[in-house]
Amino acid sequence: MGKSISNTLQSFFLWELLKGLRLTGRNFFARKITVQFPEERTPKSPRFRGLHALRRYPNGEERCIACKLCEAVCPAAAITIESEERDDGTRRTTRYDIDLFKCIYCGFCEESCPVDSIVETDIGDFHMENQGDNIITKDQLLAIGDKYEKRIAAARAEDAPYR
Amino acid sequence: MEYWVYSIFSGSPDWIRYVALNVFKIGLILTPLLLAVAYLTFAERKVIGYMQMRVGPNRVGPRGWLQPIADALKLLLKEAIIPTNANRFLFLVAPVLTITPALAVWAVVPFSETMVLANIDASLLYVLALTSMGVYGVIIAGWASNSKYAFLGAMRSAAQIVAYEIAMGFALVGVLMAAGSLNLQEIVIAQEGGFHQWYVWPLLPLFLVYFISGVAETNRSPFDVAEGESEIVAGFHVEYSGMTFAVFFMAEYANMILIAALASTLFLGGWQAPLDIDALEAIPGLVWFLLKTCFMAFFFLWFRATFPRYRYDQIMRLGWKVFIPVTLVWIGVIGFATFFTPIGHWFH
Amino acid sequence: MTFLQTAFYFFAAVMVFAATMVITVRNPVKSALFLVLTFFSAACVWLTLEAEFLAIVLVLVYVGAVMVLFLFVVMMLDINLARLRAGFTGYLPIGGLVAVLMVAELIFILTGDSFSADNLPRPEGHGGSYSNTRQLGSVLYTFYVYPFEIAAIILLVAIIAAIVLTLRKRPDTKYLNPADQVSVRREDRVRLVKMPAERRHSGNWSS
Repeated sequence: MGKSISNTLQSFFLWELLKGLRLTGRNFFARKITVQFPEERTPKSPRFRGLHALRRYPNGEERCIACKLCEAVCPAAAITIESEERDDGTRRTTRYDIDLFKCIYCGFCEESCPVDSIVETDIGDFHMENQGDNIITKDQLLAIGDKYEKRIAAARAEDAPYR
Repeated sequence: MEYWVYSIFSGSPDWIRYVALNVFKIGLILTPLLLAVAYLTFAERKVIGYMQMRVGPNRVGPRGWLQPIADALKLLLKEAIIPTNANRFLFLVAPVLTITPALAVWAVVPFSETMVLANIDASLLYVLALTSMGVYGVIIAGWASNSKYAFLGAMRSAAQIVAYEIAMGFALVGVLMAAGSLNLQEIVIAQEGGFHQWYVWPLLPLFLVYFISGVAETNRSPFDVAEGESEIVAGFHVEYSGMTFAVFFMAEYANMILIAALASTLFLGGWQAPLDIDALEAIPGLVWFLLKTCFMAFFFLWFRATFPRYRYDQIMRLGWKVFIPVTLVWIGVIGFATFFTPIGHWFH
Repeated sequence: MTFLQTAFYFFAAVMVFAATMVITVRNPVKSALFLVLTFFSAACVWLTLEAEFLAIVLVLVYVGAVMVLFLFVVMMLDINLARLRAGFTGYLPIGGLVAVLMVAELIFILTGDSFSADNLPRPEGHGGSYSNTRQLGSVLYTFYVYPFEIAAIILLVAIIAAIVLTLRKRPDTKYLNPADQVSVRREDRVRLVKMPAERRHSGNWSS
């Protein structure tokens, strides 16, 4: 009985509501934890799987030997490879297309690659402006690889002890 | 100021000068009001952001200050879609019916000792009458949209507004018993002499009922079942887009500012300074009025950041079974105390 | 024509137009909305008579509350116009007779002496400080206090009667009392139990 009276009094004096207001009121002055994204970024794992790239050996030779393991393992069938024999007798790709709309960024291509050629970089923010831009070709992939080689290599080196 | 307007129309007949002066005054009220509406949306996003440990919009303009302008431009440029089977005329009239009362009420709000557009005799009643008209916009919008979500939202909103208007009316009865007048300006003058004379102290239960009913009448959180997005998508304005939606939006925020302004007028002494000392009296009444209004408007945002949405039957119970009895009891207390107890002067 | 006359004729014209639309328009919702417009114009006409209290109360009560409930009901209806008009010609003579009678009565009364301009002059204008509300209040609570209170009690009885007529127990609905739900505290539903932590076995898990 006494308890129900005190409960009634509590609800008439809006006690619980005031407690709630106090909580949000305190947070109003609390330090804000927002990260101002384009200027500030949270740290990324070396295993981050973003935009793809094709790497080269230090001497400038492309790594890819057109084994088509990545094409076979790709669960989304996003990779299309055509290959032929080059003049020096090695097998090389003539076409290496990735459809970024199909790709689910699982990283299987990278895992399956015997020569560490196809990799996923830590580039997470990219966009396309025209229809058809979603398919990136071999030249583009190689260009990305050339441009970010340092970052790619560093990330691989950092992760190597755990592989 | 009046001379200035008169001097422009010096050659015209009297009634033209009269109309010109009033149009000028109306502009003087509405322009800052609409700006305040725009920036209240900004304040809302900022305040709720801060309470959720975010920073809110800060990209458009310095520290985000141009955000409401950008929003307004976006809404202006968007297409206003009219559903195929909607009642075209009523569909377009509904937003206008919502915003007209929300703006017209400002005619009687006393901004300072001399600044009031129409110092009419029954201004408190005028406020009640016009705010009760606002429900038509919602009902018509819900019906004319020809959509079940909109219709359900309109039904909820109408029932809620009708229920809470009674409690609100009773709360105001307490104020007019204390002040002995229906004139807002006289009610403010009756609270002269410092913050201990404000009606918020003797009429505290009525103040709470009034303000909570005000939150419910403007369909604001936690009473926003009329647009409960988890159940009925967006309620009565589901089908509205672009400028027609913006008008509903503006009406909601104008009503919020209005409730805040009325709460400060009726219970917090309006444009009176909080202490009866010369230094504070020297500050113009308009400043005090705006400060109090901002303070009350902040509560709307605070509530929204804090409370979860009420369930519909709980809203109805609160309105009919809690607020109306509370106000009736307190009106009785005021009447009894005024005439039969020595602390009667307290209630005046 | 003075400003007052202009205002009167304008609002009167709107009112007559809206009242006509109430009975001629097909859609019941539109008809209810025209009724709202009629009430509003009537309030405006009253304002020109310095009856601002009554005018505002008219808007408050009829426009703000009564018509909202009307609209509520009307919007829910799905009226079949064809069936409504089925017996129209059959009722026409009776309806016409009633209409003619009413018109005749109105003409009889309005052309008589009691409503002539001499017997019912325009009420005198008062100054700006004249408070219609105060006058009404002082008359209502002194001379007419008993009729006023009796009317109030009759209304109260009507309200209670209406509630009683619609109040019925419905055992088949799974109704929950919100008051009970609201008054529930955490202690009523949750019991915090203190349990000693169990010690971990040292042996392997499979055994």
